[in-house]
Amino acid sequence: MALLLDILTTVAILYAVASGLLLIFGVMKIINFAHGAFLTLGAYASLVASNLGLSPWAGVPLAILVGALAGMVVELLIMRPLYARPLDAILATWGLGMVIGQLITLAFGREVQFVASPVQGTVNVWGTDYSAYRLLLVVAAAVIGIGMAALLTRTRFGLITRAVIMNEQLARGLGIHSGAVRFITFSVGAGLGSLAGCLITPLSSVDPNMGIPWLMNAFMLVMVSGASMASLLLATLLFGAIQVVVSTYFSPILGGLAIVVLAAITLRIRPKGFARD
Amino acid sequence: MIIPALELKDVESGYEQAMVLRGVSLQIAPGEIMALLGKNGMGKTTLLKAVIGYLPKRAGTVQVFGQDVTHWPAHRVARQRVAYSPQEQALFAELSIRDNLRLGLSSDKGFDEGYAAMTEHFPFLAGRLAQLAGTLSGGEQKMLVVARALMMRPRLILIDEITEGLQPSVITRLAASLRRERATHGTAMLIVEQNVGFALQVADRYSVLKRGEIVAVGATADPSAEQIINSQLQV
Amino acid sequence: MLVVAVAPFMLDSYTLSILVRAIFFAMLALTVDILWGYTGVLTFGQSAFFGAGAYAAGLVFTHLGFSPEMAALALGEALLSAGLIALLVGWLSFYHGATPLYASVISLVLPIVMTQLLFSGGTFTGSSSGLTGYVSFDLSLEAWFWWAGFALIAITALAWRFVHSDAGRLLVATRDNEMRCSYLGINTSTLKIGLLVATALVAAVAGFGYASFSGVVAPELAGFVFGTEIIIWVALGGRGTLIGPVFGALLIECASAYLGGSLPYVWKLLLGAAFVGVIVLLPQGLLPALLARWLPKHWATSAKPAVTLVEAAARPTSGAQATEAVALRGVGKHYGSLRVLKDIDLVAAPGELVSLIGPNGAGKTTLMRCMSDGAERSSGTVHIAGNDIGRAPPYVAVRYGLGRKFQTANVFATLTVAESLRIARTRLDPPSLWRRAEQLALPAYALAVLQVTQLDKKLDTEARNLSHGEQQALELAMVLAMEPRVLLLDEPTAGLTLAERTLIGQVFLDLTHRFGLCLLLVEHDIEFVREISTRLVVLHEGHIAMQGSVQEVVESELVRTIYSGAAATPHGASA
Repeated sequence: MALLLDILTTVAILYAVASGLLLIFGVMKIINFAHGAFLTLGAYASLVASNLGLSPWAGVPLAILVGALAGMVVELLIMRPLYARPLDAILATWGLGMVIGQLITLAFGREVQFVASPVQGTVNVWGTDYSAYRLLLVVAAAVIGIGMAALLTRTRFGLITRAVIMNEQLARGLGIHSGAVRFITFSVGAGLGSLAGCLITPLSSVDPNMGIPWLMNAFMLVMVSGASMASLLLATLLFGAIQVVVSTYFSPILGGLAIVVLAAITLRIRPKGFARD
Repeated sequence: MIIPALELKDVESGYEQAMVLRGVSLQIAPGEIMALLGKNGMGKTTLLKAVIGYLPKRAGTVQVFGQDVTHWPAHRVARQRVAYSPQEQALFAELSIRDNLRLGLSSDKGFDEGYAAMTEHFPFLAGRLAQLAGTLSGGEQKMLVVARALMMRPRLILIDEITEGLQPSVITRLAASLRRERATHGTAMLIVEQNVGFALQVADRYSVLKRGEIVAVGATADPSAEQIINSQLQV
Repeated sequence: MLVVAVAPFMLDSYTLSILVRAIFFAMLALTVDILWGYTGVLTFGQSAFFGAGAYAAGLVFTHLGFSPEMAALALGEALLSAGLIALLVGWLSFYHGATPLYASVISLVLPIVMTQLLFSGGTFTGSSSGLTGYVSFDLSLEAWFWWAGFALIAITALAWRFVHSDAGRLLVATRDNEMRCSYLGINTSTLKIGLLVATALVAAVAGFGYASFSGVVAPELAGFVFGTEIIIWVALGGRGTLIGPVFGALLIECASAYLGGSLPYVWKLLLGAAFVGVIVLLPQGLLPALLARWLPKHWATSAKPAVTLVEAAARPTSGAQATEAVALRGVGKHYGSLRVLKDIDLVAAPGELVSLIGPNGAGKTTLMRCMSDGAERSSGTVHIAGNDIGRAPPYVAVRYGLGRKFQTANVFATLTVAESLRIARTRLDPPSLWRRAEQLALPAYALAVLQVTQLDKKLDTEARNLSHGEQQALELAMVLAMEPRVLLLDEPTAGLTLAERTLIGQVFLDLTHRFGLCLLLVEHDIEFVREISTRLVVLHEGHIAMQGSVQEVVESELVRTIYSGAAATPHGASA
């Protein structure tokens, strides 16, 4: 039972972390290697909120705000010239991640810090006592997933965004300002990354380089998912489960490698990964 | 003096190395339908792409209803109520008919009204809003492209080879729709075609494009139009 | 050289030891530049090979002790492990049809896996703290500096010689246009795997040297973050210049050692910001930007020797000429439920000029793709000059004698006309790894194309600076330089003037009638097709609606119906 819950919560966290990266990759075909840094920003936003003595929940809106604002600045200054150079965009966003990481270090120091969980204690699930906060994360990930699905399929903005994903030139010819769509998407994606960082802080410690391992797993999950939220869920479920099982029964180190290795092999066998034809 | 719906003056444009349009001038009056004819590779599609704003112009000007749009990006040109239908991949195949039609409008207001009008033009659309555009037959897809263009009640329509590979009956229906739209709303149109029969049937005037230059212009009502066009197309 | 020779007498020992470390890093930067700057393979994983070399030294010296024999064993192990890993990674990364992004993804996974394995190695690998305190070569600091410095100069010189040789141009050709390489019969996958192995070996030697010198190895040396640091040196120094990355590595490492101590975070911040700035604003890097400003323009181009064209000796046709130049049997192609080609049977003999006609979307270009790329078709068989192409990538069909010219000019943007033609000859005249040949042998008909289009006067012009028509002619000349037996041409007359069309028609007639090539044309221009074809094939909705002589087809009722309304033929105009 505990194993099942571990899988469920791990998958939820991975999904929350990867969704922002996927959104940006889907719309712009660009891999945002600063996603780990946005995540770190969100974590520090929640640290600041808790240091200021605010409600533990105040970190959430603060993280979204900080991430989205950072995303806007980055899109305007750095991403615009790089849409035609996707490999260079990876490098520039990586460099940007370095810059953000160093700024955080300058401001907060490089030591590991902790944030208290807003929800304490455990919940009894079918006979197993389980961390209430981890279960809450499942709800949060579901809200993020459903919210994004609703945004993309139920609103006009979502329709326009999907049109840009499918055929940007045609969308422009129909009067859609694809530059604006990119700007908004990048900001939302950065905000989501930041939100995910804020959500995972009570589970892990906070340090300036905390985003990098998350970035790697999220990146590999996005690579095998194409641009679809549904295939991301599938990939996360499958690989996340394997990660937990391997970590529990074999070795945490092998478990930590499970996602990157399995994703790389999946792509070798089936370049589209989990995306449909 | 009447402001033309579309006016090109000495437009030069093309792709990176290749100069395709070598000084094209063209005028379409409001409510006028112009057919642009020419063989493959002569620059017809390039001309439409230059007008809508996909391609940069190296020289010359493009004006839409008196507004200089030469250096505007595509979405701004389209928002001048210019409807553009490319020859290939003109639909979002993975979106429903409803969503494809919604993308023809600048907001969801007026969808019901527009949709009602379109089912009159193209009865097959009735009751099939949820169907994916990619699952329609070739002819239905072309009709959906035209329906989307008409949704926003445009002032100017640019259509690239709509008759390609279609049954004669569908071609006749499309011709009737375009004529009717013009008659009721005074829409100006620039129709790129290889099908001379269709062009003569729909358009008021024709232009022939050859290696990036306009080599003949005339009225379709002129009895010798077909002969002139064919002699221009042959060489 | 002189600088390296005297430097130890000018510098203090702290600076010297920093420089020695930086020199080993600079060797690593060279390998990244070869892969990324020249070949276009963005790699985050060269650090893994460096780490493999370093750990080979560290492990052997720690567990087996140091002696000359053990050093040789360690070096051997470094080379072997790096080479094997590179083979595996290359096989994973560079399959036919792999995207550049996929190779980068794999190059990311490699160092991540390596570091985790090192972490989990317990006392054997020293886990997270690595290995220290082992005995290594007993050399003075000065001696280390000389050894490393001269090795770096030697490696740089070798790399320089290689990338500027005829074979080295293949790297740039692969970067510019991998598909064109494949259609010139070059197996780019093998090329890249070989290159990866070679650079991995150099990286392993650098790692071996580093570990022997410093007496410390740590998992970070094999890590992904170190892998990105190398990219920063290369990007700032100037990718694709060799010298730039070397100086980038040396200067940044020295500056890091001095500034990193006093201002660690600010220094990394500045470095990151400079990196972002260079990627966005100066993708070519700082060194080329400075050189462009200070040096006159001819500096870069003057080094190229003039090339003279000569006619290639006629090759004996191997064995009996196959009677079927190309044969398709039952070829079909579908995307999901959409059937684009249905049951195509088409045979053409040497000396034939077959034109494929039909409305847009009839499947003509798809058919050409199926003839050249074994992975394209869904069913049926394709034989080129009697050889079954199976499911193989295009370079195999090309080796059997196929040549394909695309509709839009498909050339190497940054290679000159002469270099492009030399690449096209790769398979027939293997290029030198060290030199640039002064003669370029081409078959008579390729020379003729160059002469009539006057490209023979522009041999030193880069393809991107040619006009559209000249690029088309260059592509045709490149394809002909391979001495193909079957030539596929997709709309060769599109956008040409009447005079050019007549000229190219004459070339095609010569190729078929005088040289016995088999030509297959996709063409819309019916007039042109009538004048030169020996046979017409009409494609309609994915199947062959009709084939026969020009006369039969043009006058058939069926063709008029297919083209009904389309004015492309004079006959269809009245419909």
